[in-house]
Amino acid sequence: MEIFLSAIFSGTSRGAIYALAALGLVLVWRGAGVVNFAQMGQAMFTTYIASTLIGHHYSYWLAFIVALISGGILGAFVDLTVMRPLSRKRSSNFLDSPAMHSTIPVIASLGILGILQSGAGIFWAAEERGFPTPVNSLGLVIGGKTMPFTAFDLFVIGTVFITLVITTYFFKGTGMGLAMRASALNSEVARLSGIKIGSMRTLSWTISGVASSLAGLLVTPSANLSPSTLDLILIIGFTAAVVGGLDSLLGSVIGGFALGLLISFVNVYDTPEDIFLAILVVLLAVLLIRPQGLLGSKEVRRV
Amino acid sequence: MSRTRSYGRKNLIISILFAVLIFILSIKLDPYNLGQVAVALMLFIGVLSIVLLTGASGQISLGQGALMAVGGFAAALAILNLGLSMWVAIILAVIAALLAGLLLGITAARLSGPYLAGTTLVIALAIPSLATRFESVFGGDVGLNINFGNPPAWLSSLMGSVGYEQWQLLATLPFAVLALFFTSNILSSRTGRSWRALRDNEIASSLNGINISQTKIFVFVISSGFAGLAGVLYGLRGIVGPSVYPISLSLMLLTGAVLGGIRSILGALIGSILVVFLPDVIDSIMKHFSPSEQVANYLPAMISSLLLILTVVLNPGGIAHGLHRTRRHL
Repeated sequence: MEIFLSAIFSGTSRGAIYALAALGLVLVWRGAGVVNFAQMGQAMFTTYIASTLIGHHYSYWLAFIVALISGGILGAFVDLTVMRPLSRKRSSNFLDSPAMHSTIPVIASLGILGILQSGAGIFWAAEERGFPTPVNSLGLVIGGKTMPFTAFDLFVIGTVFITLVITTYFFKGTGMGLAMRASALNSEVARLSGIKIGSMRTLSWTISGVASSLAGLLVTPSANLSPSTLDLILIIGFTAAVVGGLDSLLGSVIGGFALGLLISFVNVYDTPEDIFLAILVVLLAVLLIRPQGLLGSKEVRRV
Repeated sequence: MSRTRSYGRKNLIISILFAVLIFILSIKLDPYNLGQVAVALMLFIGVLSIVLLTGASGQISLGQGALMAVGGFAAALAILNLGLSMWVAIILAVIAALLAGLLLGITAARLSGPYLAGTTLVIALAIPSLATRFESVFGGDVGLNINFGNPPAWLSSLMGSVGYEQWQLLATLPFAVLALFFTSNILSSRTGRSWRALRDNEIASSLNGINISQTKIFVFVISSGFAGLAGVLYGLRGIVGPSVYPISLSLMLLTGAVLGGIRSILGALIGSILVVFLPDVIDSIMKHFSPSEQVANYLPAMISSLLLILTVVLNPGGIAHGLHRTRRHL
């Protein structure tokens, strides 16, 4: 029972982070039609920035804020320098066909991932380093009894919850969120109603950059920081997003928590070596049985 | 019909010229570069698998490294457990990879674009992790040891003493030539045309009687066979293990394919030479600046990623596209 509860709690806290990563992917997919494989590379880069600041004895919170801001800047930068020029090149015969049209941005994002990883290697050396937590990460003691969760788990879940509330409010309650939803739904109509499509795309990249930077900050304390540590989170985040439906924000969050629990149970009751297999099985099962995911809208195929 | 036959003759001549050229190189080069050219030929076969899959039929795979691992492990098990010869093991490895490609293709035929990319990426990570999971069979993190062995007696008596690196290159050469000949033929055939039709317009090609999902699965099977062949040759250099087929190998193949030109066989050759020799060239330039170790380690990856992005944004056709804009095949 003790083990079961601890699996549930660590799964929920892990799941919250995966939900953030999945949210970041879905934001860019909806907003710009690109699955950003460089996302966790961006997060790794900003976590290194935070780690460097902390290494120079600045406070955790300052580093935290700086990392989030640089995450947003990095996201916008990726869009402005690579993705926007790419999307303008529709006339090229390589981008004519739908198959290549969706493939080329994927390759570009892998190139960005490569630059971020090798850049981090050059700037911050290859040696792994730890990353601190703002609060205690030992089992919380309440009434003399050690609980199966830590203060840091609560911090993670709380932070992610606040982020989700803010995101939901932004999309449902503000004019800019409405404009973003409109341009994601039908860019042509949105353009005709005076929405600046390009800015909305860049904004998606920015918000996604902040969300994934947050995911990086929250997940890194449990592993060492190195240029490729966050690759696994990308895989999990992608699977979570597909489970929930690649175009559903709520779905991606549900998918994130579901995968967090699954991985936690595989970790506790089976062996950590099976995590990749478990992810692969879940991904294939969803893609074969319900390709649109739990909450995704069904793609209309014309054939 | 006569048109096809003349293509066939031209492809044959090019393949023979290619074989002669590499053979001459194999006599002239020093051992280090012999090994590098051998690796370039192995990767050439792997990059051809991407030219067929992504260039010709428009499906992306980030998991070619996993299929290479399937080939490598199948051969290693055949050699070590069944005591088969290297040549039989290579054939078995290709068959194993074809079967893996069939399974993958059946799944992948229903997916497209980013879904396919993500799924194959997960596969690229999951397959090598099987090696550590079933350590007693696959040798865990260390892997299994296989190699090209000694050159046969007739070759040594024919060419004088044949070094190990030279033998690596000479043993790889026939497979690379076969792959080149097979790819150029299939791309100029009816089959290749149906793949390109599929890539350019699925609806139109299905209206013309092309069975979409069957064709997609078929491309995956053929492409996997190529990847498996590349993988077994790559493993025969010494070790078959998860560290030999990392995710970066899959990305290296893709980088080579894109830099050289994803729709061109010549591009595949240029790309595989580029990814193998670029680090050497950068090293020899950087030597004059005496960089720190981390810069020397990461600079090649940085430059090839930069080239990848520049290619995709500025010249998606790659180097080969720039070389001759009027291409016959694609």
